[in-house]
Amino acid sequence: MSDAYVSLQQLTLAYGDSIAVPDLDLDINEGELITLLGPSGCGKTTTMRAIAGLMQPKSGRIFIDGVDVTRVSANKRQIGLVFQSYALFPHLSAYENVAFGLRLRRVASHQIQQQVNQGLERVGLQQLATRKPAELSGGQQQRLALARSLVMQPKVLLLDEPLSNLDAKLRLEMRSELQRLQRETAITMVFVTHDQSEALALADRIVLMSDGHIAQLGTAEELYNAPDTVFAADFMGFENIFKVADERDGLCYLAGRDSDVSARLEIAGSSEAGYLAWRPAAVSVGQGQHRGEVRSVAFAGETREYVIECTIGFVKAQVPVGNRVHAVGDVVDFELSLSTARPLRD
Amino acid sequence: MTQLWLSRLVIFLTLTFLIGPFFIIIFAGLSAGSSLAFPPDGLSLKWYLAVFEVESFRKSFILSMFLAVGGTLTALVLGVPAAYALSRYKLPFGETIKLIVAAPIIVPGIIVGLALLRYLVVPLDFTVTMALFLAHTALVLPYAVRVVSASLQNLRVDMEEAAVLLGCSRLGAFSRVVLPNIQGGILAAFILGFVTSFNQVPVSLFLSGPGVRTLPIDMIAYMEITYDPSVAALSALLAFLSIGIVFVAERFLGFSRYV
Amino acid sequence: MFTAALFLVPVVILLSEGFKVGGEWSLAGYVDFASKPLNQKVFLRTLKLGFLVALTSAIIGYATAYCVVNLEPRHRGRIFGLIVLPLMISPVARTYAWIVILGRTGIVNQFITGTGLSDTPVRFLFTETAVFLGLLQLFMPLMIISLISSMENLPKDAIAAARVLGANWFQVFTRVILPLTKEGLVMGGTLVFTGSLTAYITPAILGGSKVLMLETLLYQRVNVANDYVSAGIIATILIVMCFGANLVLKRVAQGRSQS
Repeated sequence: MSDAYVSLQQLTLAYGDSIAVPDLDLDINEGELITLLGPSGCGKTTTMRAIAGLMQPKSGRIFIDGVDVTRVSANKRQIGLVFQSYALFPHLSAYENVAFGLRLRRVASHQIQQQVNQGLERVGLQQLATRKPAELSGGQQQRLALARSLVMQPKVLLLDEPLSNLDAKLRLEMRSELQRLQRETAITMVFVTHDQSEALALADRIVLMSDGHIAQLGTAEELYNAPDTVFAADFMGFENIFKVADERDGLCYLAGRDSDVSARLEIAGSSEAGYLAWRPAAVSVGQGQHRGEVRSVAFAGETREYVIECTIGFVKAQVPVGNRVHAVGDVVDFELSLSTARPLRD
Repeated sequence: MTQLWLSRLVIFLTLTFLIGPFFIIIFAGLSAGSSLAFPPDGLSLKWYLAVFEVESFRKSFILSMFLAVGGTLTALVLGVPAAYALSRYKLPFGETIKLIVAAPIIVPGIIVGLALLRYLVVPLDFTVTMALFLAHTALVLPYAVRVVSASLQNLRVDMEEAAVLLGCSRLGAFSRVVLPNIQGGILAAFILGFVTSFNQVPVSLFLSGPGVRTLPIDMIAYMEITYDPSVAALSALLAFLSIGIVFVAERFLGFSRYV
Repeated sequence: MFTAALFLVPVVILLSEGFKVGGEWSLAGYVDFASKPLNQKVFLRTLKLGFLVALTSAIIGYATAYCVVNLEPRHRGRIFGLIVLPLMISPVARTYAWIVILGRTGIVNQFITGTGLSDTPVRFLFTETAVFLGLLQLFMPLMIISLISSMENLPKDAIAAARVLGANWFQVFTRVILPLTKEGLVMGGTLVFTGSLTAYITPAILGGSKVLMLETLLYQRVNVANDYVSAGIIATILIVMCFGANLVLKRVAQGRSQS
């Protein structure tokens, strides 16, 4: 047994015969905000449901706060969950939604009143206590769902894509609100999302998942700057990923990521990696070893984005707007250097 | 412009055909004379009042009420959990169960009635009332299951899971979260079942014996003997009853959402 | 569910009676049944009326539904309510109205004798026309509702586009409206057709023993002649036809939009 606060050990989760998550190990520390990040179908929601007890694992064990809860039913685990849909009770007022769990715990009525009011105040909804969920805006419903879970003082708070139903501005607002709440309450939070920028902004640590496996686990900076695999790099915005097809005499020969075109692009230096990846900002345009034709140019405020076609495919580049402007159809020089490349494995 | 008038005319004619007969019944019942005629020979409420004096109408009305209320309630007691199970869990033979439940709608009522009479009432010594009760329950059950299923479908599973995570048992989640939110659907199912059961003829046809008749059957029998406006008056009253119930339901619940 | 099972068994036993003659399994009952001219006539009449009622309500239904869909939403709801209204009212009452209208001293005959078109009242009751009208009034709302709901999903621009492309109204109907509302038509048609086949009240009251349909024939065979072989056969025929129609309905419904 590990000394982590939440510990998933050799967890296998399945829907009927189809296995969604095979043999997962994950430790979560007390008071940490951890993000399960990945594309839809990667097993992140399934994992979260298993922690909540809404899904029985096929094998493996789940420990929370040192106790094996694998066979403990969902209503006795003391875990909070904020659903993507919020899952508020439409027949109850905001106040009663928050009081729901406390009443089930048979908390004394004056305490309920005090805690509910405190909970509503914490998310800024004290004025709207008598409203029904349908009479609240999306952002207010979101806060109410948070308050309903937080008032129970759960051991772990799970959040399932809680920001995905909000518009862009509200999303940013709720992000900082979540961080504030986490600081204030010091509750361990598991945040499930498919949005890498959300994960990067919020999480202490990010668990990047793919096909039920952990592809990479690390801090936001580690994942952003140093992805290990093609999958992780793809997810973190490395748009230029090329295969190292050959390596000799101090030169690397690059090929398209999965094309069978025999064309090669050579760069100086040698690398052990199977793949090399560059962010668009790491590609310089106007000078360099390589040559290609500009296929599109897009103005993006601070920068200008080019798509350049060369022998091994398309290269995306992002250069400061101050630089010389190239037009579609121009043949330009560009540079991919080993020093700015991120080496990857498959 | 001409198109607008043409369109109004079409609607008007159709509605006249569909609803006109009622107005005729209402007025025919208002007749002061003793035979059925339209326009009535003078106006009076006497036939509307006379209806309440007919002993057999009173008895059959009570029976019909009992069947409609009791049968529908029983159907709901069976149907709500059935609908819940069918919509939330993947049951083995789920499709077959659905088909069996729906069967009373598809199988013509007269056949159901005859079959029940011949193989339940006669050999097993069921009372006629008992058989009628069973038949009406079975008949209303599909409506109950369907209407309740429809309102369950609008209710997200999330909500029950949220309740469970807040400490409810599964049963508690059902009674605290699911039931309050499908109240409207259940009431709609009750009204639909009530109206269906109350107006039902074919199923009850064979099952009604002397002394035990549902109201519509009694009306047909009465019609065959006498030719006075009382049946018209009674028909009009029943029509008002049905319309009234549905109107009130629509007013307060938006009944039509569920049908 | 147990209720449903409890009642399915008797129905199956009843159906099997059609295959038994003198305690032996045989098809002799069917051969015998089919050879009687009365039975043939009743069978064909039932089919004919069912078909005619479905066809007529489709024609009127399309016209009405088209007009209703093009109304302002405010009026649309109200008109829709009026079309649904008759469904809530007892079929006995609805059929009874036709006696007032078509009877010897009914409205139509008063008009005929009053204007001197004929000296003696024309007999309408107990004719196929009366049964046809009764059934049409009873079941047309089902067709109109089905057609309205499938027409509401019809893209408005489709008709305009077809007009712009040079289609006349007949072509618009056959090439755009008809294919796009096929589902509603089949659904409505099935409901009306099976409804007409299995209606008991209307043929009983408006057709009497002169215009027998399968249901009334079945009732007569049992009540007058205690002839359960025929009853089983008729029941089988009815159920086969209903399930057949239902299958068509399901097939079409599943062809589109069912997940």
